[in-house]
Amino acid sequence: MRKIRIKGRTEWPGIVEAEALVSPMPLQGFTNVKPELGCTTERNHPLFMIPYTGKVLVFPSIRGSGGFMMYGYGNKKPAAFIHTVASPVNVLCALNAHVPAMTDFEEDPMKYIETGDMVLVNADEGYIEITKKD
Amino acid sequence: MAWTEVKLTDQEKRILQGEEGKVARICMEFLVEMAHIAGAERFVDLDGTGDFHTPGNNLSKNCGFTKEDLEELVAAGGHFKIPTFANKSPFPEQAPVHGWESCNVCAYRNEADRQDDPKFHEQAMHDDMMSLLRKMGMMTTHSCANYLTMTYWPSVGQHCSWFESSQIPYCNAVLGARTNFDGSFATCFLGKAPYYGMHVTENRYGTVLVKTDRLIHTDLEWDVFGYAVGCDVHCDVPVLTGTAKPTTTQYQKLNSAIHTGGGVPMYHIPGSTPEAPTVEFALGGKKPVRETLIGEKELVAAYEYLNYHQSNEVDMVYLGCPHLNIVDIMLLCRKMEGKRVKIPMWVMTAPWLYNVAKEQGYVDILAKAGVVLMSGACLAAMGAVPKGVRCVAVDTAKQANYVTGCYPEPDAKLQVCYGTTDECIDAALTGHWHGGWR
Repeated sequence: MRKIRIKGRTEWPGIVEAEALVSPMPLQGFTNVKPELGCTTERNHPLFMIPYTGKVLVFPSIRGSGGFMMYGYGNKKPAAFIHTVASPVNVLCALNAHVPAMTDFEEDPMKYIETGDMVLVNADEGYIEITKKD
Repeated sequence: MAWTEVKLTDQEKRILQGEEGKVARICMEFLVEMAHIAGAERFVDLDGTGDFHTPGNNLSKNCGFTKEDLEELVAAGGHFKIPTFANKSPFPEQAPVHGWESCNVCAYRNEADRQDDPKFHEQAMHDDMMSLLRKMGMMTTHSCANYLTMTYWPSVGQHCSWFESSQIPYCNAVLGARTNFDGSFATCFLGKAPYYGMHVTENRYGTVLVKTDRLIHTDLEWDVFGYAVGCDVHCDVPVLTGTAKPTTTQYQKLNSAIHTGGGVPMYHIPGSTPEAPTVEFALGGKKPVRETLIGEKELVAAYEYLNYHQSNEVDMVYLGCPHLNIVDIMLLCRKMEGKRVKIPMWVMTAPWLYNVAKEQGYVDILAKAGVVLMSGACLAAMGAVPKGVRCVAVDTAKQANYVTGCYPEPDAKLQVCYGTTDECIDAALTGHWHGGWR
């Protein structure tokens, strides 16, 4: 068990620990997310129809519509949002989701987090802690 | 707490304490929340224009006001602080403003919500809310391409608060005004927005130098190029070199495609866009962080990604993403006059252009050819295509990219043929797709 801690900027406070779901590709909302299913519906996307409910959703950046905010809708939303690049579209999502969200890390979390890793998001103190499986 | 602290002026503090009324207080609370999330330490007073998705009284999860609150505000003379426009037709139904009688779409695929049902349409227009917003000064343009019809543009350097992905780069890059993706009732009513991102001069300079080995000069090339650049640069500010000078139509394509492939808030085309007299100026006198080539290979890859069909049998053609300008409607009429479509062909424009098109005789010419002109909406925004349509032809990367998301189930899969406007017209006349990268 190896732990990696990275400091970042808090978008929405709170503390949660959950399994990571990593999108190697930027994520898109509007018609390409179905909050009632808790899945990305973008064709040919690596996360197409893979549930993000209750996960720490990790992605490099948003792409496209302000309808990205729909990732923050309903009770099937992620437990937390972690993203490398900040955008006003992420702000719209955080306004709706009100779950821990962080960005602007000292090091890119995409380099360390893999799907299935446990990630502690401590957005109250401004860091994430990744537990790597041995 | 690791949350960004926000410094408030005395006036902002007073608004927050409720001294300017309940709605103002709620809006200020919302803006403070927005600033915390964005990492903005203060607000900027807006001197440009605003635009948001209506009705828009639910600002965020815990932050909204009632219709009664709004009625009280209007009765007391409340109005938007900046010239404010309505983006797209009202949510959540997003019904066509004109031509809805021919729109046999079930909104979001709900069988009971037919866009061509007069009762549904009436409710979908939310006139109770829209009339209140009009009293506050909102100009209900209802278009994703508001800049076509607003007739009042922000000038270079003015601070704005716009919404809609394709409009953000239009405001920043083409007009040289300054906006983040934050247009809302709150920003327009208070005339304030969090000061960060595109409001700040340093953030507007280019960081990625984009080159190409194919001269970008046709509408399709601009659309595919925009999409491919967006996919490559994500949320950065690119400087686009090696292209021709875009037309208004091509700017529409570029802006919608670049903020679909990526989240590009701003770009420069040296010699064309107002903040880019030269490449060096566009880069702020610095070396680019990186250079990238969006050449023939990358363009073909983007074109192939946007095409999503096994069959060449087309069931429907959709044009008007973003909403068509009047020149494109005129050109379409020139090509359709005296012809007759074999499959449904829908064309979407901005509501404030619909009557202009009618007076010009375009609505009639199109109707005689079997083409339906509508306004204010789009297929993806309505969350569905007409029942039975399994393959739709489009001439825009944005629609090609989004419309399939409405049909994720393997047995409901929607196919997309993507190409030039002429290839779409050919498909409408023949029912077959003959498009290809040329």
